[in-house]
Amino acid sequence: MYPPKIGYVIPDSVTEALEFLEKHDDAKPLAGGHSLIPMLKLRLLRPSYLVEIRRLQELKYLRKDGAQYSIGALSTHYEISKANIPLLSETASKIGDPQVRNMGTIGGSISHLDPSADYPAALIVLDAKVKVVGTKGERVVDFASFAKDMFTPDLNQGELVKEVLINDYSGYKYSYQKLERRAGDFAIVGVAVLLKVDGEEIKDARIGLTAVNTKAVRATEAENVLKDKICEKTIEVASDLAVKYANPTSDIRGTAEYKKKVTKVMTKRAILTALGKR
Amino acid sequence: MNEVKVYEKDQKVKIHFKVNGQDVEYETEPRKLLVHALRELGFTGVHIGCDTSNCGACTVIMNGKSVKSCTVLAVEADGSEILTVEGLAKDGKLHPIQEAFWEKHALQCGYCTPGMIMEAYWLLKEKPDPTEEEIREGISGNLCRCTGYQNIVEAVKLASQKLRLGQTPYQRQ
Ligand SMILES: Cc1cc2nc3c(=O)[nH]c(=O)nc-3n(C[C@H](O)[C@H](O)[C@H](O)COP(=O)(O)OP(=O)(O)OC[C@H]3O[C@@H](n4cnc5c(N)ncnc54)[C@H](O)[C@@H]3O)c2cc1C
Ligand code: FES
Ligand code: FES
Repeated sequence: MYPPKIGYVIPDSVTEALEFLEKHDDAKPLAGGHSLIPMLKLRLLRPSYLVEIRRLQELKYLRKDGAQYSIGALSTHYEISKANIPLLSETASKIGDPQVRNMGTIGGSISHLDPSADYPAALIVLDAKVKVVGTKGERVVDFASFAKDMFTPDLNQGELVKEVLINDYSGYKYSYQKLERRAGDFAIVGVAVLLKVDGEEIKDARIGLTAVNTKAVRATEAENVLKDKICEKTIEVASDLAVKYANPTSDIRGTAEYKKKVTKVMTKRAILTALGKR
Repeated sequence: MNEVKVYEKDQKVKIHFKVNGQDVEYETEPRKLLVHALRELGFTGVHIGCDTSNCGACTVIMNGKSVKSCTVLAVEADGSEILTVEGLAKDGKLHPIQEAFWEKHALQCGYCTPGMIMEAYWLLKEKPDPTEEEIREGISGNLCRCTGYQNIVEAVKLASQKLRLGQTPYQRQ
């Protein structure tokens, strides 16, 4: 299957890319291409031009400045999986398959915003921020508000994601649990858990769910219940409460009913794994 | 500032890349997929098994990393170095991974084999001594409809031993 006829633009800098994108309404940036090219092949999209940003070194970095990670938009899932970033690296290692991780980028994933994508579960619990750049300058937004709805990032034509910013949560315990129909597939449900534990007590708890809503959501009531002494009962109650935040649709990956049930199972598994009890 | 390079949809783009160590010049429409370009150039070991980027039959090594060449545009390969299954055997001698696939009967129809071997190549470069689980996760982007995977996993294990014993120097890209 061939993509439709498309023009192709090779900019030498982010500025050149932005200027071209701003002037051409239906031009699209091409990063790893692992959402874009499949969509072109299926003719779900017909952009006038693809603007190749994949090789722009300006967007290819992964730094730690003090207690903050700056992750350039073109960092691949593979690179992130090797970067020892609490929770995010584990999440990246569970995306798709090795070939997908070698090409796909974090900037592309969050600009595409598939409702079943893995990163969003981790990014909402990590309170990630997104730096967006346009011809008129930069702005920083919380990932939670950047992800407006499925396939709907807070991006205007002529803007690019420049980087993702997250704080270092090395003191926390964490886990990302993904249930897939078969290896390499998108999640049926994905649960990211981040816990601050002090002795026998959980001081801070964050739970993010992906694939069971139009976008990733925090299970706040479940989080609040967990902030207590660690015990089987509260873990069970929290896992039950997480289901309240799942509003899945029935599709090839399972019925809505099934997805709700496994949301509970995977939440419990994520909490127990984070606590080292599994 | 120099002008941004713009190619219209019917315009041909001239690209230069290396395939299996040889310099190649190629003219392509922007929309052409790398897999089609490689096949036209005669590297027909690169197979097309699906339309959805799932099967991995088209896997090649691009700049040292395994990629699905059906999900990369030929224009993106400009300036890159590519290794296909045709580039593995040296002086009429099979690469240890190929030998291992042969010895362990890791293929039936053979359609998935070139992609499987290229993915195994990348996996063993990353993890020279993988566990069985790592092998299975490593080839999770490659589908085989015939073998049930068991012999493929065995072959990758054997290939890892062969490479570590250094029977043949491992070709690094
Ligand atoms: C077989 C297969 C399995 C997969 N499995 C999973 C999975 O399990 N989990 C998962 O989360 N994902 C999965 N994916 C999707 C994969 O992670 C993609 O890599 C990712 O969604 C898009 O990243 P990309 O760099 O490839 O973006 P592209 O495809 O290049 O771009 C995607 C969209 O974002 C835009 N864009 C890209 N970069 C920027 C930027 N910096 N600023 C603004 N807009 C930008 C593009 O114009 C396009 O609209 C899978 C893909 C495939 C092919
Ligand atoms: S042809 Fe199936 S993944 Fe490329
Ligand atoms: S041997 Fe036939 S598909 Fe793998």
